Amino acid sequence: MCTPEHFGVLYEINSWMHTEVRVDLDLARSQWEGLRAGLAASGAAIELLDPVEGLPDLVFTANAGIVNGMQYVPARFRHPERQREVPYDVAWFDARGYTVDELPGVASHEGAGDALPFAGTLLSGYRSRSDVVTHGALSTLTRAPVRSVELVEPRLYHLDLTFCPLDERRAIIAPLGWDRYGCKVVEALVPEPLVLDDDAAFAFCANSVVVGSTVHMPSCPPAVGRRLEAWGFDVVVHDVGEFLKAGGACRCLTLALDVELHRT
Amino acid sequence: MTASEVVEVEGHIIDSLILAKLMDVILASGADYEVVSVDIGRTNTDLSRARLEVTASDEDALASLLVELQAHGANRVTSVDAELLAADRDGVLPAGFYSTTNLPTAVRLGGRWVEVDNPEMDCGLVVTPDGRARTVPMHRVRVDDMVVVGNDGIRVTPPSRPRGATPFEFMSSEVSSEKPKGLLVADVASRMRLHRAGGAKILAVCGPAVVHTGAAPAIARMVREGWIDVLFAGNGFAAHDIESNVMGTSLGVSVRAGTAAEGGHSNHLRVINEVRRYGSIAAAVEAGYIDGGVMYECVTKGVPFVLAGSIRDDGPLPDVYPNVVEAADAMRSLLPGVGVALMLASTLHAIATGNCLPSGVETYCVDINQAVVTKLADRGSHQALGIVTDVGLFVEGMCQELCQ
Repeated sequence: MCTPEHFGVLYEINSWMHTEVRVDLDLARSQWEGLRAGLAASGAAIELLDPVEGLPDLVFTANAGIVNGMQYVPARFRHPERQREVPYDVAWFDARGYTVDELPGVASHEGAGDALPFAGTLLSGYRSRSDVVTHGALSTLTRAPVRSVELVEPRLYHLDLTFCPLDERRAIIAPLGWDRYGCKVVEALVPEPLVLDDDAAFAFCANSVVVGSTVHMPSCPPAVGRRLEAWGFDVVVHDVGEFLKAGGACRCLTLALDVELHRT
Repeated sequence: MTASEVVEVEGHIIDSLILAKLMDVILASGADYEVVSVDIGRTNTDLSRARLEVTASDEDALASLLVELQAHGANRVTSVDAELLAADRDGVLPAGFYSTTNLPTAVRLGGRWVEVDNPEMDCGLVVTPDGRARTVPMHRVRVDDMVVVGNDGIRVTPPSRPRGATPFEFMSSEVSSEKPKGLLVADVASRMRLHRAGGAKILAVCGPAVVHTGAAPAIARMVREGWIDVLFAGNGFAAHDIESNVMGTSLGVSVRAGTAAEGGHSNHLRVINEVRRYGSIAAAVEAGYIDGGVMYECVTKGVPFVLAGSIRDDGPLPDVYPNVVEAADAMRSLLPGVGVALMLASTLHAIATGNCLPSGVETYCVDINQAVVTKLADRGSHQALGIVTDVGLFVEGMCQELCQ
């Protein structure tokens, strides 16, 4: 995670961002601390990336890249505003002994924000932020099979706003964000989906973090909560309202480091 | 004019339904595709690869479709523009010029594929100032013509056999004497009817044996009834056709009795001599000297003909082109619109015509000698179908089929 000292809505690169909306930095900081404490309480060990002045979205570490064991594939951001984050992400992983494997070419891929592992497969979104041509290269680099899903709803611009893996069989999904081919791909991939309605999707319910059997969510409608509890999950809701102003929630504020994509 | 481009897509395109989506996107836009290749990965981590040839109604439609396909990872297969070099001498192509085939050909110019107007084998390709591409025989090249050199930026469409109920279906070999001729005659006639209905012209290339075997009256009737639109032949065919009508012999042999006429060996010379006196075949028809036969029907029906000369010609008839280069150019000028070519008992004229024909012209080569058909194919006219039989019987049969 990355502390939110320099967080703010300083530019508009998604439909949630409006520069005239003020961020309450103190509130943001306490919301972020609340999420960190909650994740730690569930058993997560948290490592920190130093914030950088002028990079307000560095706080959304999910987009830093793809982690696969000790392999790190840096993101290549669509927007110049976020491209300046990459050297700081790479330096962090490099300093910790990760092998840094760059994507070939010039096409974009926005890291774990657009690629989530599910049951041995990497599900990856494309069109709004990531280019589908990177998916083949990602598969070659990580040796994981990749399934591509086209993101068609501008308000759900990253895959992690539409998909949250829970375990080997279950995931929270927001099909509203996908085209009909993407819906079929996920249908074939996920045996037991928890389907979000439109309101829950736009409330970023899918942008949740799972630590063990605890699901940390930005909001949770009762029906979703009941289903998760029936499956044996505990639900913790975090108010991350200040970060929603920039189009991000719980998942966006974290990057999982305990990911092994390739299974032999 | 339609526009097409080959795109390639790579990745987990089967499991992710990307290939299916690309195909749907293409069809939904009103365009069409042909799968060039699909290489499916062996395991679920192997990448798959597909190439699709996309054809849209025009360049603009193609361009916007390609942008959409690109969003799904399908990129146009990189190809470069053709290299052009200005000719520096009349009648001489630049060294390294692209030598054409008779197949449909396109040239890539400024990122776009431009179809060649008039495919013809063994020519150069000239790009005109208005951006069109034409085949040009060597002798017709002029200084500063922009000529394609090298093989980059050239796309040749491989030949395809016509499908459907055509003679091809029951002919296991392209040249065969062991086929039921009656069926072949009926099939060729029905192909002619089909092309005629589509507005295509029919070309007949005739050798003197057409007259010797007694088939000239049938050809004459087909001309009269509008089944032949263009005639190519040499001095011999025209001379013997006129001889048989004026003197009743072909090369001195009576076309009715089949016996040698007294002094008949000089009959064709006397006929040629008289036509030369009139100044042209048309003038001889006008004067009533020629009152029947193939050449008579061509003149009265206004069917254009080219008589190409050769070194052995007697006379020759005044209409014969003594200059072979001019003869070939005259033949070329009559080819646009031709859909069917009948090569009838003529070796040299059949091959000469074959050299000028685009591969799309349905070509039937009728000869008693199998070698003629083989020669034609060996010289690049792969579209030619050989029918090994007596031309007299074949033409009689075809005339009966068409002129009922």
